Amino acid sequence: MEEAVISTSTPAVELAGITKRFPGVVANRDIALAVEQGHVHAIVGENGAGKSTLMKILYGMQRPDEGEIRVNGAAVAFRSPSDAISAGIGMVHQHFMLADNLTVLENVVLGSEPRKGGIAIDFGAARKKIKQISDTYSLGVDPDALVEDLGVGARQRVEILKVLYRGARILILDEPTAVLVPHEVDELFGNLRELVREGLTIIFISHKLDEVLSVADAITVIRRGTTVASVDPKAVTARQLAELMVGSELPSPETRESTVTDVVALSVRNLSVHSPDERCIVDGVTFDIRKGEVLGIAGVEGNGQAELVEAIMGMRPAEGEIRLGEEDISAWSTLRRREAGVGYIPEDRHRHGLLLEAPLWENRILGHQTRRPNVKGPWIDRAGARADTRRIVEQYDVRTPGIDVDAAALSGGNQQKLIVGREMSGDPVFLIASHPTRGVDVGAQAAIWDHLRAARAAGLAVLLISADLDELIGLSDTLKVILRGRIVADVDPQNVTPEQLGSAMTGAGEAA
Amino acid sequence: MLQNRFGRLAATALAGGMLMGAAACGGGEEPTTSASPTGGATSAATSGSGAKVGLAYDIGGRGDQSFNDAAAAGLDKAKAELGLAETKELEAGSGETEAAKEERLRLLAQGGFNPIIAVGFAYSGPLKKVATEFPDVKFAIVDDEAATGPNISNLVFAEHEGSFLVGAAAALKSTKNHVGFVGGVEVPLIKKFEAGFVAGAKAVKSDIKVDVKYLTQPPDFAGFADPAKGKTAAEGMFDAGADVVYHAAGGSGGGVFEAAKAAKGWAIGVDSDQAKTAAADVQSVVMTSMIKKVDVAVFDFLKSAAAGSAKAGTTVYDLKAGGVDYSTTGGQVDDIKAKLDEYKQKVVSGEITVPKE
Amino acid sequence: MKSAESSFADRLLGRVRLTGLLSLAAPLLAIVFAGLITSVVLLVSGDPPLETLGVMADYGTQPRSIVLMLNYATTYYLSAVAVAIGFRMNLFNIGVDGQYRLAALVAAAVGGAVTLPAPLHIALILLVAMLVGAGWASIAGLLKVKRGVSEVISTIMLNAIATALGAWLLNKERLAVEVAGSNNIGTKPIPESGRVAGMAIIPGTEAKVFGLIILAVVVGVGYHVLLSRTRFGFDLRATGRSESAAVASGVNVKKMVVTAMILSGAAAGLIGMPQLLGSSYSYSLDFPTGLGFTGIAIALLGRNHPVGIAFGALLWAFLDTSSSILQLHEISPEIVAIMQGTIVLSVIIAYELVHRYQITAEQRRVSKELAGGTPPRVEGASA
Repeated sequence: MEEAVISTSTPAVELAGITKRFPGVVANRDIALAVEQGHVHAIVGENGAGKSTLMKILYGMQRPDEGEIRVNGAAVAFRSPSDAISAGIGMVHQHFMLADNLTVLENVVLGSEPRKGGIAIDFGAARKKIKQISDTYSLGVDPDALVEDLGVGARQRVEILKVLYRGARILILDEPTAVLVPHEVDELFGNLRELVREGLTIIFISHKLDEVLSVADAITVIRRGTTVASVDPKAVTARQLAELMVGSELPSPETRESTVTDVVALSVRNLSVHSPDERCIVDGVTFDIRKGEVLGIAGVEGNGQAELVEAIMGMRPAEGEIRLGEEDISAWSTLRRREAGVGYIPEDRHRHGLLLEAPLWENRILGHQTRRPNVKGPWIDRAGARADTRRIVEQYDVRTPGIDVDAAALSGGNQQKLIVGREMSGDPVFLIASHPTRGVDVGAQAAIWDHLRAARAAGLAVLLISADLDELIGLSDTLKVILRGRIVADVDPQNVTPEQLGSAMTGAGEAA
Repeated sequence: MLQNRFGRLAATALAGGMLMGAAACGGGEEPTTSASPTGGATSAATSGSGAKVGLAYDIGGRGDQSFNDAAAAGLDKAKAELGLAETKELEAGSGETEAAKEERLRLLAQGGFNPIIAVGFAYSGPLKKVATEFPDVKFAIVDDEAATGPNISNLVFAEHEGSFLVGAAAALKSTKNHVGFVGGVEVPLIKKFEAGFVAGAKAVKSDIKVDVKYLTQPPDFAGFADPAKGKTAAEGMFDAGADVVYHAAGGSGGGVFEAAKAAKGWAIGVDSDQAKTAAADVQSVVMTSMIKKVDVAVFDFLKSAAAGSAKAGTTVYDLKAGGVDYSTTGGQVDDIKAKLDEYKQKVVSGEITVPKE
Repeated sequence: MKSAESSFADRLLGRVRLTGLLSLAAPLLAIVFAGLITSVVLLVSGDPPLETLGVMADYGTQPRSIVLMLNYATTYYLSAVAVAIGFRMNLFNIGVDGQYRLAALVAAAVGGAVTLPAPLHIALILLVAMLVGAGWASIAGLLKVKRGVSEVISTIMLNAIATALGAWLLNKERLAVEVAGSNNIGTKPIPESGRVAGMAIIPGTEAKVFGLIILAVVVGVGYHVLLSRTRFGFDLRATGRSESAAVASGVNVKKMVVTAMILSGAAAGLIGMPQLLGSSYSYSLDFPTGLGFTGIAIALLGRNHPVGIAFGALLWAFLDTSSSILQLHEISPEIVAIMQGTIVLSVIIAYELVHRYQITAEQRRVSKELAGGTPPRVEGASA
């Protein structure tokens, strides 16, 4: 790995050999990281790569099982966030922790109230200090504004100010742009530059590569819980960074043969979904998926993908026509659709895919409770369901000590493999795979991709929704881009880069 | 006493805070010590010569300022005058089964209590069963004639006759030709009060307007213990133009008195002489009361039992026997006393037959 | 072969033993805890705790008391099952109380009005009771499905309406007849053919156990079979565990809500039957009330499990029965209400703790067992 940043002084933060285990998983393994003073240091990695755990360790919210943390050269052992704060480390959480009905001033002093004569809160002094911090770093925060009147960007600045007020010189920002609109992102980056100019150090956690490249002075990539590279943002492209993040597991579209047939398995015409307040969430979506074809839908999350899927599953009222083969299934219940051969790997497996507190074999029945081998007439066929659960566990490599453990005891990847196995075993003719590898480990990811490819080769029609652009490009035969509920572009997965796809997803030209 | 008050308080607070189920099903039973003035648990200390008397109350028990209290008064009098060896008072829980009542009576009988008095018609079935099991024990039941047996005395009252008199009093005193009746719970017993009251009022003025309102419907017996409901109902009647309101609503009657005071109207009490027993600040609005002498019945029974002459079968405490009457405390009905006594005479002589419903 | 071995060991030492021990430990601990609290209350109120418990145990184990206890428990069991059917799918049928009162009233009236051969007569009364209970409960189900009214609110309202409706019906102009010489009023007594004889099965006493204790057993078995052996039961439990997952699996949740309410109401309709057909033969003013609320407590106590509920009902009935003796010993019978309340609370807390412990224990065990052959899996542990 390249060492682009040459240390000249003592790093502000240095981590060595940090390892953290949780029941069933190793969240961080042998993490090594050096953050220079006065830098914006980005830590990038996929969802679930272990970034947040690392930050919690650094902020004293969790203690590492092994390894050493040095702040400004001195080894520290944080027992709680207050230890971290006294060492000059502050954290700005992804979700703001502000009391809406208090003023900025009150929010900032909450928990570290300045005392006047030991009793009364010295608001005057606090107000002065807040003003001074705000001016120094151009945060533009009015101490007397009510938090509930502030926009998202302003609230974030209050969070930053709160941390600075407590004397932090090293700021951790956990996915700070997740909640911001583009111009707020620009403002935030302006503030960050101001902060580092004043000598502060910023650790910036993100999985948005373009942002990272534009703001960071140094980048460390985390993959599968460990640091795999430290790179100079000026010397890498987004594609290279993406490859570092995903490792060698990036699927390669070139090696694949098309299995697409002429037979349309699912046909959607003018499908629209309205929210309860009559807003159009899915707007006249039309597409066909043929047997043996994977249709990928790319889009920034929240542009109607979830609603589209639920409409096709019959879980949400919609207008338009949905045909499965020759049959118009628009008016069918979810159960009837499933019985007709629609498989469903839901986006949120805990909400829609599993009964966490039920054993695996009962989860095998879920969604297939009218079909053999799970039932005989109105009766549950325990023996049949259990035997078939064992088959799934074996065929899909679900790592479990038995089929009587609760689904909650399995890791995310194994839960997902169970779901994939279940949905594949109903002889589906059409499968919805919504973020099929989200939050699963790399091994499970590759296995799930293999299963999807195999099923596609066997003639299954697949609707693939994913936020992982490489997954979309790698698996899809056809790619469509959804924006504000509409299909806005058709993209050829053979000839598109994640960057191009990314800009298409945000609307042509709007992308950063 | 203090201990028990704590027990009651703790139970209410805990059970109430804990669980609907607990509060709804078990919370009703009231601890009742015998009323010996020393506050001791069992008054075995008294004379030791007389009988051991068991008393089983219906819901509410001693302290309900009404029916159960009247029975308690009879017991207290007997204790003072007859030298009872021991008394034991048990009390029903709300919503309990007949089996529970049966068990209560049986426990008393097994404990050697004799005679045993059951207060309230709900004991009818259970009493009959237990009385058969213990033929040597004398039983009495208040307000019920259905349970019969060689060792059962039925103490019943002609509430309609007493109510007739106060109905007449109300009509005679009403200047607006408009009176009201507030019943606690719409059960046949209370309807007897209503029937008598209406008949009495109409006997005086055939065109008089009588408002009737029941506070709750069975099996919700809260109407006997909810002064707020009583007040609202009576306020409604006074607002509508009534100037005398009679209540047969147990503890809810306090609310009726308050409403009468606020409306500067009259109220008529029930069961005991409420111009004496009601809260001091409202005693003045109690024009008269329909007295139902449960205490007399209980005392009479205990006295005859002590003398070994307890009579099985029904004893009717009617106007003739002085079992029901109207009160004159406060002198508010002195001006019409002659007329009332005239009606009383007619009822006693049979010239007037008061309807029961 | 390794897996077979570990699965045996698993059953012997792992989950099964853990579950078994803990599932026993939880209620025992809860009862001990409740006993402690009760003792403190007794001490404060000046009664000796041990003696009090002794008196209760003494009285509660006499043959006659056992019969009483069984009879109470029969009714409580039916009530708790009715509640539990709703609980299993997160439906809070607070209206069991109103449902059973109305059902008992109508069933008593119908039973008193007709004469049929014995088994038919009884069957008719039970059927009417179930239909009335189910019908009354279905109102809450339909309101929830059609109008989104919380079943908690609607069933409480329906309880009040059932009270009013019951009072209206229990009138000489409608369903009631006057009992001669009594101030009571009730439906026409059910003739001999509609009664269910008691059984003198407890040695040492003449007192009879409700014949319909068999009905409670049948309902318990039916509840178990329905829930754990049928598709319908699976859908119901799935809906209770995760409504969103049930919807995604094709369960028609609205239909389930109505069906579950109907079933719960039908079971509720049976609550009054042992008392009606075995003892009162008529629905009158003194018909027991509040049993629906007792059922809620017992369903919680028994964790909605058919066997757990049976134990809960027996415990509750034991406490209720033995409370009769307390007044005789000048001890406040509210002690029993306090005990019942603390037991339910402690059981809920104890089970929650054990449940959490078990989940982590299982996760730990799974990862430990898997650690051997496979590389550690890496995952983000962020929330």
